[in-house]
Amino acid sequence: MILKKRKITSSIALFVCFLTALWGIFWLSFIIIDVLRHGITAITPSLFFNDPAPPGEEGGGLRNAFIGHLLITIFATLIGVPIGVLGGTFLAEYGRKYNISKVISTLADIMVSVPAIIIGAFIYAIIVKPLGHFSGWAGSIALGIIMIPTVLRTTENMLSLIPWTLREAAFALGAPYYKVIIQVVYRGAATGILTGIILAIARVTGEAAPLLFTAFNNNYFSLDMSQPIASLTVTIFQYAMGPYEEWHAQAWGAALMITVFILFATITGRLLIKRRYKD
Amino acid sequence: MKKQRGKLTDIAFLSITASTAFSIIAISLGIFIILFKESLLAINKFGFIGFIFSTEWDPVKEIFGAAPALIGTLITSFFALLLAVPIAIGIAIFITEIAPSFLKGIIGTAIELLAAIPSIIYGMWGLFTLAPIMSQNIEPFLQSTVGKLPLLGKLFEGTPLGVDLFTASVILSIMIIPFTASIARESFNLTPSVLKESAYAIGATKWEVVKDVVLPYSKLGVLGGVGLSLGRALGETMAVAFVLGNLNQIPSSLFDAAATVTVKLANEFTEADKDIYLSSLYYLALLLFIMSFTILALAKVFLLKAERK
Repeated sequence: MILKKRKITSSIALFVCFLTALWGIFWLSFIIIDVLRHGITAITPSLFFNDPAPPGEEGGGLRNAFIGHLLITIFATLIGVPIGVLGGTFLAEYGRKYNISKVISTLADIMVSVPAIIIGAFIYAIIVKPLGHFSGWAGSIALGIIMIPTVLRTTENMLSLIPWTLREAAFALGAPYYKVIIQVVYRGAATGILTGIILAIARVTGEAAPLLFTAFNNNYFSLDMSQPIASLTVTIFQYAMGPYEEWHAQAWGAALMITVFILFATITGRLLIKRRYKD
Repeated sequence: MKKQRGKLTDIAFLSITASTAFSIIAISLGIFIILFKESLLAINKFGFIGFIFSTEWDPVKEIFGAAPALIGTLITSFFALLLAVPIAIGIAIFITEIAPSFLKGIIGTAIELLAAIPSIIYGMWGLFTLAPIMSQNIEPFLQSTVGKLPLLGKLFEGTPLGVDLFTASVILSIMIIPFTASIARESFNLTPSVLKESAYAIGATKWEVVKDVVLPYSKLGVLGGVGLSLGRALGETMAVAFVLGNLNQIPSSLFDAAATVTVKLANEFTEADKDIYLSSLYYLALLLFIMSFTILALAKVFLLKAERK
């Protein structure tokens, strides 16, 4: 009798766990389907090839925001990736025996989750205010700083996975440490590091908060990184909060493009790492 | 000769990598110092107690208080955690203990994708899709059921507009599920199978094994995951900015519009025309930085302790 009751309790509890998994998947599909449904009708050639038109006029697009976003992200990657990869190299190689390396790792783990808007406020104080105006560079630096801890930690982890004997074999041939790192360790960990970079890019592509007061926004097409520059995410914020139907439609279109890119990049990164470290 | 050059390059490479690694320390310290420096004006004028307990936020009279924003941040984060943690633990139990192996990967990835979706997408979806559903269906329903209860009903008073604390908390809860879930999963997997098997051997049901063996064994790790989620919730900006209304008031019900620290920053930073206004916003940012940093650091301590076990 008691046994039966315990068995029933167990089944019910496990069923509730199953429902929680459904809950998570329900929201994921709800959001993705909703973005698809609204966004797909807004994907027109003019969205990509035209600049914004005044509200009420037909044929406006977001060419300026697409290009601006691309520029900001590329320069952010150029800032964040080298610093992250080299920093991770120090932690896993030269500095692995020092306590300070553990401190830096822990600090990086914390910095990964520090609110992005704080980074924006920080960059505003050290770059935007002294220069007196918003600029694309400020946006790139803010996003670059957000990338550093993520790339650094994945690089450190991936390098630590390379067996120590492999390095010793290279040392035995008389290679100096930097050559061992570049020609042996990096080669072995390349897929892992690349995955870290892809995931970091995916993360910053969707950031809006740190761009609000660094890159700001620009209604015109511009390639000048020393001036305010448009980005998709800030434009989505502005358009979605705005009163016009066409704005909303374009914001959905931009949201769809960003979501597709990020999901694609994230899944690619996961597949890469799974294939490399199958066992 | 050649060997010497190799040694020199090695030292050069060492110094480059070391300085990039130390940049993490420089950035963290730099953020703290700069935020502190920028908020000095407001710190001197309003003090600490005076700032966090004052409810006034009046740019014209140049009086600023943080209480509404801080309370908004705490309420949304608290309710988001309340909703998200049980669900995240349930998901972790489902993936580690129940799901057949072909489902494990798929569901695991799906849940992690919830973390990959940018917060601006959550915000936009929240504003255009979830908020109307909330105001027309879910919130009236809650008012006619839970809202009738004494005391608890107070939380559900007011006109359900959809742009309120409740919607913001629900969206936040969805966003932070993956952080608790993935760490709880890892901790559950660390439970030695000998422990579980001995429990099964004395006749425990699956749920009893989870409840009495796996959960107690991994509670430190789960706690770390909860801390990580809380740190994320405190600093979430764009998702909340769409659905909270940025209203500077102490909310009396979950169906009230409100403000959080992040929403205030996002909406008012570029409008702050006076030094004391900007400085007060920096003061808010400093408080947020200290709060989230402390909680994330605590979470990290729990996780490190759990790992060592």
